Amino acid sequence: MCDAGPSAYWLTRRPSCKVNVASPPSSRFNLSYRVELSLLLSPYVLGALLLIGAPAVLTTVLAFMFYDALSRPVWVGWANFYEIFADPQFAIARLNTLYYIGLAVPARVLGALGLALLLNAPRRGAGFYRAGIYLPTVIPDTAYALVFMWIFNPLYGPVNLTLKALGLPTPGWLADTETAKLVFVIMGTFQIGEGFVVLLTGLRNIPRDYYDSAAVDGGNAWQVFRYITLPLLSPWLILLTFRDVILSFQNIFTPVFMMTGGGPYYSTLFLPLLIYEEAFDRFHFGPASAMMLIMFIAAASLIGILLVLFEEAGYVEESHE
Amino acid sequence: MNKPAWQTWLYHAVSLALTLLFILPLIWMVSTSLRQPGLPPPRTIEWLPQPLAFSNYPTIFNMLPLGWYALNSLIVAALAIPITLTTASWAGLALSQLRSAWRGRFIMLSIGLLLVPITALWLTRFILFKWLGLLNTFGSLLAPALMGSSPLFVLLFYRAFRRMSPELFEAARLEGATALRLWWEVALPLARSTIAAVAVLTFLLYWSDFISPLLYLKSPSLYTLPVGLRQLEQMDKTNWPLLLAASVVMTAPAVGMFLMIQHYFLGEESLLER
Repeated sequence: MCDAGPSAYWLTRRPSCKVNVASPPSSRFNLSYRVELSLLLSPYVLGALLLIGAPAVLTTVLAFMFYDALSRPVWVGWANFYEIFADPQFAIARLNTLYYIGLAVPARVLGALGLALLLNAPRRGAGFYRAGIYLPTVIPDTAYALVFMWIFNPLYGPVNLTLKALGLPTPGWLADTETAKLVFVIMGTFQIGEGFVVLLTGLRNIPRDYYDSAAVDGGNAWQVFRYITLPLLSPWLILLTFRDVILSFQNIFTPVFMMTGGGPYYSTLFLPLLIYEEAFDRFHFGPASAMMLIMFIAAASLIGILLVLFEEAGYVEESHE
Repeated sequence: MNKPAWQTWLYHAVSLALTLLFILPLIWMVSTSLRQPGLPPPRTIEWLPQPLAFSNYPTIFNMLPLGWYALNSLIVAALAIPITLTTASWAGLALSQLRSAWRGRFIMLSIGLLLVPITALWLTRFILFKWLGLLNTFGSLLAPALMGSSPLFVLLFYRAFRRMSPELFEAARLEGATALRLWWEVALPLARSTIAAVAVLTFLLYWSDFISPLLYLKSPSLYTLPVGLRQLEQMDKTNWPLLLAASVVMTAPAVGMFLMIQHYFLGEESLLER
């Protein structure tokens, strides 16, 4: 059935033949072809260098400089780091960010896992449910922030009206230092479409044979989950958790910027907001870079751990083949 | 289908309840956007406001040049989509054709890039764009399209091309096709669903982008719709019907686009499926 003839190759919609014939190295990897391939790859590599590599290097350099965009940058050594670690706002922002990540990431990953397990099976209506679960994820974050300001409005938002009707206490939500951070955690747990799709994919990649043999052995639902699904899903869960930690640094900015501006009493001052204020309101480019560098190093160490874990477990090729 | 009936009922009851919970923000957004501004706030949850104030929509377009901002957003997205599709599919094709050692390295690089917090690059990108003269132009919003907008898109194309039969590429190579022709005549026509999905994901990315215009744009004539929402919020922070009407304008195209392609990655014949 290998009929991919030289002239009809582009007509064949679906390849009917999957045998990987070892190709003569001269035809597939000759020099000019390799040059052409590198040219195709070059926008991606150049773009990554320009938009991620260069700014990362520049951040590292600026972290050791005094610079306010007006005068020439001056080398100041570790002064910026002494400054930010003496800054009470940086301490508050670190704690707030840890609090947010500590609550939101597990809630998001476990939420996505639970929903993926529930809606994985191809049943009638499952497609509709999956689309519904994904829907909040596509709401642009500015609009999402505005609607959640309304939903959690202490006086006439739907949440407090419901709580009042049920005779439950009605918190001040965004107006209260105790509950303000929680609103952002709750908002985040509704935007889990990406993780949901990743885990659905992970579940589908588990070969059916595993479940068939478990059925023969008479394992109950919990045992099947604990000894088959969970271990085979773990690389996806790890990747998702790490990406979620990193994304949290980013995704928290727009909601906080729109909804509280860091208040009340700094209770929602998260790192990205503080960095934005340092850099773009106060033009303290040096300290802002130092904060970014610390965030960057925290992220990089997470990536490093992830790569080592994946390499050792041998998941690297598998998860993307 | 040998499951007892009560299990089926339970499945649908739980799934339906969760789905409703997840679309509740959208429902409240639409219903509140139709409240008459200036009415006393509701005492109980209001699903359908009385009277319906469709005039909120013309009102917000009179308060701010939201139509202009929306046009800017559309222009940015319309430029970003073809650039992204080209660069991401080029990189995906090159990755799928590279020798395995290099392929592995570039895939690790892409996963690594996915994990870089862009927040840590805001300031220095700002300085870099200033040097390159991109500040206060659409170029500063479009720059990520040069690298395929997201490493994820490159990986999606890579996956799609890897799933195609290598003989197709072999045959084209034997005919003396260049990599560029291979991309245009063999690879792309077979990757239609990936193209559709990446196009829509790219649209969502640029349509929703608030941070880039906030950081890099100065002239109101270049503002995009998300900046308009922020301006409207600053004009009247408690006029919920108007704020949420603007939110609906912001959200509707995103939801529409998503519903068009959702079956590509949520359906049974999933995009990401093996």
